[in-house]
Amino acid sequence: MKAVILDGIVLGLGFGLLGVGMTLVYGLGGVLNLAYGEVAVLAAIVVAQAMAGGIPTALAAVIGVLAAASTGLLLDLTLMRPVYRQSGGNKVLLGLLLTLGVAFVIEGVLTWRDPLGALSINVAGKPISILGVPLAVGSVWASVIALAAAAALLVFFGATIFGRAVRSVIQDELGARLVGISPALVRAVIFALSGGLAGLVAVTQSMTAPLTVNAGFNLTVTALIVSVVGGLGSVAGAFLAGVLLGIVDSVSAYYIGRYITSIVLLGAAVLTILVWPRGLLGGGQG
Amino acid sequence: MTSGPLPRRLGTVVAGGRGRAFLPVVGAAAVILVIPQIWFAGSEYTTGLAVQALEFAAYAVGFNLIFGSTNQLFLCVGALAGLGGYATGILSDHASLPIWVGIAVGTAVAAGVGGLLSWIAVRRSLGVIFTGIVTLAFSLGFQDLLLGQEHLTGGSTGQVVNGAAVSLADTRLGGYYLFAAVVIAFLVVFRVLQISHVGWAFRALRDDETAAELAGVNVARYRIYAALVGSAMIGLTGALYAYSDGFISPPVFAFDQIDVKVLVLVAFGGLGTLLGPLIGAVVFAFVDNALVNSGQVRELIYGAIVVVIFLSFRGGFVPAVVNLAGGLARQRPAQGE
Amino acid sequence: MLEVSTLAAGYLGQKVVDGIDLAVRPGEAVAIIGSNGAGKTTLFRAIAGLLRPMAGRVMLDGRDVTRWPAQRVAQAGVAYVPAERHLFGGMTVKTNLTLGAYPRRPDRETLESVFEIFPVLRERLQQRAVTLSGGEQQMLAVARALMGRPRLLMLDEPSTGLAPKLAKDAFDALVGLKGTGVTLLVAEQQVPLALSVADRGYVLENGRITMEGTPHELDQNPEVRRAYLGVG
Repeated sequence: MKAVILDGIVLGLGFGLLGVGMTLVYGLGGVLNLAYGEVAVLAAIVVAQAMAGGIPTALAAVIGVLAAASTGLLLDLTLMRPVYRQSGGNKVLLGLLLTLGVAFVIEGVLTWRDPLGALSINVAGKPISILGVPLAVGSVWASVIALAAAAALLVFFGATIFGRAVRSVIQDELGARLVGISPALVRAVIFALSGGLAGLVAVTQSMTAPLTVNAGFNLTVTALIVSVVGGLGSVAGAFLAGVLLGIVDSVSAYYIGRYITSIVLLGAAVLTILVWPRGLLGGGQG
Repeated sequence: MTSGPLPRRLGTVVAGGRGRAFLPVVGAAAVILVIPQIWFAGSEYTTGLAVQALEFAAYAVGFNLIFGSTNQLFLCVGALAGLGGYATGILSDHASLPIWVGIAVGTAVAAGVGGLLSWIAVRRSLGVIFTGIVTLAFSLGFQDLLLGQEHLTGGSTGQVVNGAAVSLADTRLGGYYLFAAVVIAFLVVFRVLQISHVGWAFRALRDDETAAELAGVNVARYRIYAALVGSAMIGLTGALYAYSDGFISPPVFAFDQIDVKVLVLVAFGGLGTLLGPLIGAVVFAFVDNALVNSGQVRELIYGAIVVVIFLSFRGGFVPAVVNLAGGLARQRPAQGE
Repeated sequence: MLEVSTLAAGYLGQKVVDGIDLAVRPGEAVAIIGSNGAGKTTLFRAIAGLLRPMAGRVMLDGRDVTRWPAQRVAQAGVAYVPAERHLFGGMTVKTNLTLGAYPRRPDRETLESVFEIFPVLRERLQQRAVTLSGGEQQMLAVARALMGRPRLLMLDEPSTGLAPKLAKDAFDALVGLKGTGVTLLVAEQQVPLALSVADRGYVLENGRITMEGTPHELDQNPEVRRAYLGVG
């Protein structure tokens, strides 16, 4: 049981990292990025190709993260512009439809060029014992990276001027403009950051299991669920929800079966929507 | 008889006698029923394509009722169709019930699940977001369930549907007429809803949800109605697919097989319009055929089409062209057709 | 410092204000008086870059800022405090003030001078902005604007939502501000308050400027007295 829960926490930290990129973009631009998972897969394929080309793993990972960040930035600067001009339900809907279209395009390109593509990063070393449970080195590395990213994000949003500027745009875009903050600049940075986080997720996930070219849909749905449960726009909420859902996932997979986990996660999301409509830490408090 | 300004066709449709409102349906029905005789009845291959076009037209009418009429982005058409298809397959196989029981149960289950998903989403003001999220998650969960419950569904190998009308699949023309009847029936239902008070409520809530709410339209209730009826249509189509094809497997109802295409063809034909889904389905039958050997490039192209259409023609490509042509002819084209 | 010429602005193609000419000299305090719906807010939004003018020009220190977005106008030294304030409600008073200095870090000196004008904010530093009273929120809004060391401070209806006593206090604080060298442009429908702080005033009626003069001239004008002071 202890091992199952620990596994869940490892999984959940990954979920949290995945959810953060989705939730930030939503908080800022009102866009649910349905191409998010595909951006992660894109990064994975870039890393895999780079590694196959003889580039050292760490450098390849950086290249992948940068590629994903650029994709995010490109999305913001091109297709998302008309979305920001809309408001209310139309904005959400247009954002969903356009990013869904982009998801199809990215998945189409990747499976066309590299139908068997997959990223698998092997971290050498003996399992490390944590609380008496042996954990694969890859899992430990993935969790450490996720925790470091979480800490970095919390510092960024809590202690830097620009991080606070980002939160101010989430809270009151007009107020932010009045103090001289450019929402367009903030959005561009956050879209790039979100893309970079998707890339980072690709790297950490591939440390525990291969990330295949068709994983995008799954990643997107998981990110959506994590961000809904955590509260759209909340960084801390995404990590909290990620860990909770990771444990739920791991426990249900152990006692019922792997196939049931996405139904269980859906149930968790539905329950959250019904009980706490704004999520665990909703309301854009960062 | 009446004098005054030239009657606008929309006005005629609503006020000038219900019979005329069904003219487009009758016209479409006539074309659908006659065309095999004058074109492709001899070619099994072309007939097969036509059957597929009609099947997708049927999905698209259901999706259009939910999304086009009430703005609920249901990203689970494949999963709802799969509920219908697998209910038919499982009940006929494991429970040895007559096939029509399976079809009826499948339709009902799909309607129930669609209504439930809608109910969950409309309870919150951010309905659009939650509809997208919940339905997408349902699509994923449903696929996993199909693969996981192997003893019921046959897992990834799929299952043969007992009591399926193999003869329909054999000549293909039987399947064509089956789906033709389904599409025509759906169009009639869609039109009946459009010209009734329900259609009025749909238009009101699509134009301005808050205003509709203030005018006394129970927006949530009409959304759920649309989801119930539309999901029943999708479930029935999925069930009839199982019935006419005799074999179902998870990829048949996968998101990238059904939802992508349904979204594209509805967007192309015109959101919320009567004949848009049918027109879109016919056009994309040709597109599909042209892309038959291009594998994943198809998905790429579909994605690009989705982006371009929603960026440029919010109401759909065909209506935009019709509007343009109508504008050139200095005539107002009818809306809602 | 600020020069507005033949400015027209509005919404959905409808002009709300038209043919506006006004000028504010450095160090001056100028009031725009007018009743509800006269177009004061539209005029301010157009100057601040929140609303793209339909015609005319806005010059700031000889630079044409007519088509600049609001954030750029703000960076150029114009601080606009709208009647709805647009504070960051979920953040603390401190963070609100910090962001007022964006993109720089707030310097102690400015912070101290702001506390001197609004001492109560010092006690509220760790409180979230939404928990402040209406008067304190108005103070915070002005204080946040001052944190950026603006050269022109534009206040739209600072008396909104304030009890008469508090509104009076707010305007007294503005009189104190005048001594610090900041240039003021205030829109206000409570004419006596507006005239109490202004060196000069404009009367805005139905989207057009109908009168201009010193507080004394405006105060003595029979039309102003009838329309805005309820005497005549």
